[in-house]
Order: sequence, then C-alpha cells, then structure tokens
Amino acid sequence: MALIKAVGLGKTYGSTRAVNDLSFEVHPGSVTGFLGPNGSGKSTTMRLMLGLDRGDGATTYDGRTFAELDHPMRHVGALLEAKPFHPTRHARNHLRMLAAANRIADSRVDQVMEMVGLATVAKGKPKKFSLGMGQRLGIAAALLGDPDTLILDEPSNGLDPQGIQWLRSLLKHLAGEGRSVFVSSHLLQEMAVLADELVVIGRGKMLANGAVSDFISHSGLGTVEVRTPDGATLAPAIEALGATIVRDGDSLVVSGATAEQIGEAAHSVGARLHQLATRDATLEEAFLEATGLSEEFRGSTGDLA
Amino acid sequence: MIDALRYEYVRLRTLRSTYWLIGIAMTFQLIMSIVLAAVIAQSDSFGRGNDAFDIIATIGASSGFAPLFIAYIIGLLGVFSTGHEYRHGMIRATLTAIPSRTHVFAAKVISTVVISAVAALLCIVIALLSIVAFGLDFPSTRALVNMTAGTLIFTALFSLSGLAYSALTRNQTAAVALLMLVPSIVEQIIRAIVIVIKSASDEPSSDGGIMNILKYLPYDAGGKLYTRASLDDLLSFLGFVPFGAVGGGIVMGVFVGALLAGSYALFIRRDA
Repeated sequence: MALIKAVGLGKTYGSTRAVNDLSFEVHPGSVTGFLGPNGSGKSTTMRLMLGLDRGDGATTYDGRTFAELDHPMRHVGALLEAKPFHPTRHARNHLRMLAAANRIADSRVDQVMEMVGLATVAKGKPKKFSLGMGQRLGIAAALLGDPDTLILDEPSNGLDPQGIQWLRSLLKHLAGEGRSVFVSSHLLQEMAVLADELVVIGRGKMLANGAVSDFISHSGLGTVEVRTPDGATLAPAIEALGATIVRDGDSLVVSGATAEQIGEAAHSVGARLHQLATRDATLEEAFLEATGLSEEFRGSTGDLA
Repeated sequence: MIDALRYEYVRLRTLRSTYWLIGIAMTFQLIMSIVLAAVIAQSDSFGRGNDAFDIIATIGASSGFAPLFIAYIIGLLGVFSTGHEYRHGMIRATLTAIPSRTHVFAAKVISTVVISAVAALLCIVIALLSIVAFGLDFPSTRALVNMTAGTLIFTALFSLSGLAYSALTRNQTAAVALLMLVPSIVEQIIRAIVIVIKSASDEPSSDGGIMNILKYLPYDAGGKLYTRASLDDLLSFLGFVPFGAVGGGIVMGVFVGALLAGSYALFIRRDA
C-alpha cells in the first residue's frame, strides 16, 4: 500500500507559472479527487508526479520517486491521455508491449482485457475504437501491473453512463482493497459519490485539500429552510446571528446559521416552527465557489440571437 | 536496460510497418537483383566477379550513379522508432513503463541498428542467391566482406540519422522529409555551390581548397562504404580527392553520432 506524497510541485512555461508549490498526500484506501477548472494545471501536475515533465518539487510513492521504482507499472498505474497507442497495433499487443517492459505475464494482459470489457476486441485496431473504448484500453494499461497506486487523468472521458458506473465501482473496489487512487474529473456529481478526499487547484495553486464533506461544509453555501407563521418575529432574531435570509413565500431560506442556532433563536423569541430543514451545498456549488476567480478560460453566452 | 530492449522487441514485432518496410526493401532487392543478374549473365563485356556482385548487391549504387535505395526504405524504421512515440502520443505511456530515458533511448538505438543491419544483410543474401541462380561468378571473400560490411554500416547509420531527426524534431513527417532531403537534395545543392565557386576561382584545378568541404558531406562521405566508383571521380579535375571507405565511414559516423548526442540531450531534458 503506497502513500503518495507530493511536495512543492511547480512548473513554469515561459513567464507563466502553471503549477505553483503544490503539496498534498494521497492516502492508501482512499479515492482522492483532483479538481480544478480547465487550464488549472491538473494534467501538468500529474505529469510532474510521474517524472514526465521537468519541474520543481518531488513526488514519492512510499518514499521512492517514480524513477526509482523497479518495474514501475507494478507499483503505479497511470492513465494520462485518451488513446495513447499506435492506431494499428492490436489492443492486446499494445498491452503486451507494456507488459514486456515490466515482466508481466501475457495471462495478466488477457485478464485486464476481460476486466475492462475489451476481451472481444483484443485483436482489434485502436484506430477503430471509440473514445470510450480507448479509455478502457488506457485503464487496462493502468491496471496491468496490479499496482497499489493509480493516477488517472479524466478516466471517465468518453465513457457511457454504464461505463461511468462501472468505473466508479472499480475505483471504489480498488480503494477498498487498500490502494491509493488519485483521479481527476470534470464530472463533479460523479466525484461527489466517488471521492473520499479532494485536492482542488486553480491557476496552479492549491485552493483546498481534505475530506469532501469538509470542502462542502467550509464553502458556507449550505442553507436551512424555515417554515414559520411567525416570520416577522423570527427573522430579526436570525439576522442577529449574522445570517442572511431570503424570503420564499412563507419560508425563510437562511444562509450562515445552523438549524440548531435557528431553533434556539425561535425558542427565545417564542416563534412557532412548522419545518426546519437543512440543505447541504452540492460539490458543484462548493467547487464553483472555490474556483470562481481561478478560471483560466471564461466563456459567455454572448448574443446568441 | 533489458526491460527496455524487451519493450522494443515487442514494439517492433507488433507493428505492421516493420514488416512492410522490410518487405518493400526485400521485394525491390529481389526484383532488381534478378533483372540485373539476368542482364549481366547475357553480357559479354560486363565483369562477372566482384563487379557484378557489387552492382547487384547495391542495385547500382556501387557505381555512384544511384543512392542505396534499401537504406532509404529501411531508414524509415529508424524514423518510426521515435517518430511513432510523438505522432501517436505513445511517449508518455512508454516512459511510465520505463522511466529511465537513457534506457529508452539506448534501446531504440540498439534495436534500430540491429533491425537495419539484419534487413540489409537479407538484401545482400538475396543478391548472392541471384548470382547463384544466374550462374555468375561468386565474389571473392574480401569483396564480399567489404561490400556486406559497408552496406550494413551505411544502412544502420542512415537509420540512426532518421531516429535522431525524429527525436530532435518530435515530428515524424519532418523527420522523414529530413532523411530524404538532406542526402539527396541538400548535399547536392552544397556540392553545386562549391563546384561553382571552385570553377570560378583563379585556380580551378588546384588541389583541395573549398573542394575539401565536399569530403565532409556526411551521407556522400558515408556512401564511400559501398561505392566502388563515383561521380565524385569526375570532380578530380577540380582538385577533389574524396575520403576512402574508412574515412568516409568515420565522417558519416561522427555526423550521426553528433545527431544522436544532440537528440539524446534534448530527450533527457524535454518534457515528455
């Protein structure tokens, strides 16, 4: 079981600091999601972790850098981009080639082809593969050495809903076996149910690092819905807590105060409560809040007419 | 290092271009060997021993009137060995399988040399079989060894230059263009310019001078490994004295070595 420890990762392209002093850990037995807007430096960070890009800092896997690992695919499985294979080399041969460099038996090649659902096209040419099939082949390559660490860059790209569900189950299962899984994705809903911890970056800088639940709760975007016939009495007491209120019919939607605080306030002013319901922020809301000022590429709806 | 060689072995074996490039080279060699052997067999004036072997083995390149065609075909194996890595985004997969860039580069150099030499050797064998089939005289052992060694070394160096071009440019198309154009056009342009300058000088027939530049055109110099007569001989009146096989081979070897050293240095330093 490998602890991934990234310390001071940095990368500069010309005058642009693409990754700036990133340090984090990925723990065995967990799925750590890697989030950030487009161009925030996620892929560059992953390449730095694997020694593919030259930059600052170091990443160790149980104390050893990637370059120091003997037969690295047996320790770290990586998927970095879609379709990284020769278009006419059979899928199985692509894996055999990687296996040969890591002393992995051909029987394992067949095993992972079966695992990712490509056994029937093992002798197919990747140039005829869909993006999803290409991703599956990339995932097969990452799993080839039965590694205790996985680094996957957007593995769900191109997968259909069944494929995404399969991938989620697979990664959960692998983490459940005690492996370290570090995965980037733009599918925030998917990440919300998959990840145990998060590393969130924007413009190459660390924005948040920790448990998913902490990231969401620290966003301050959770609300409490209060239904009361005594809104006029209760509202000032809630505002006295420093919370903000949005009126919605006979309900008050409160931000910045917990249900417990509101209940206490209602009791103190003698207001009747018909409903007191908390609503947590979604990962998407928390992510957008955290990265709002860190978007590298911002679009607009413009004048579509 | 062994792991990197195993990777290269499977890479070459599982790539169709390996087979069709060697197939094209051998088919060309077979057809042209048969044609040349048949013509020579019916000729009363053409030498039938070493001369016939030299001409058939190199498909006329030993005369200096044509390039060594098989080298241009087999040389593409060198281009592809690195070019495919960049063209198809394989380089990152390769380096996550083998993190030692030195091992990856060295394995590519070794595999390119071996497969190029083996392919060239097969072409020599085809030439010998054609000689036997048409009843021509076998070459002397010395001529056989010299021509075989010369052809193998030139072809291997030619392929290595292709490997270096693709590693330097990280662009397979550009590397193919360089491999085809530098020997056949760039060197010819340099030659033409040098000849004009020498011809226009006060002493056009004097020895050496600017004509010495032509001795160091790498592919032309390397061609001395298999040429037994050359168009260069026609330039002797301009005071041009080319290197022999050893000198020419060294010139080409140093050139290819410099290309490889530069491409290795960049390969180590660049982002994958």
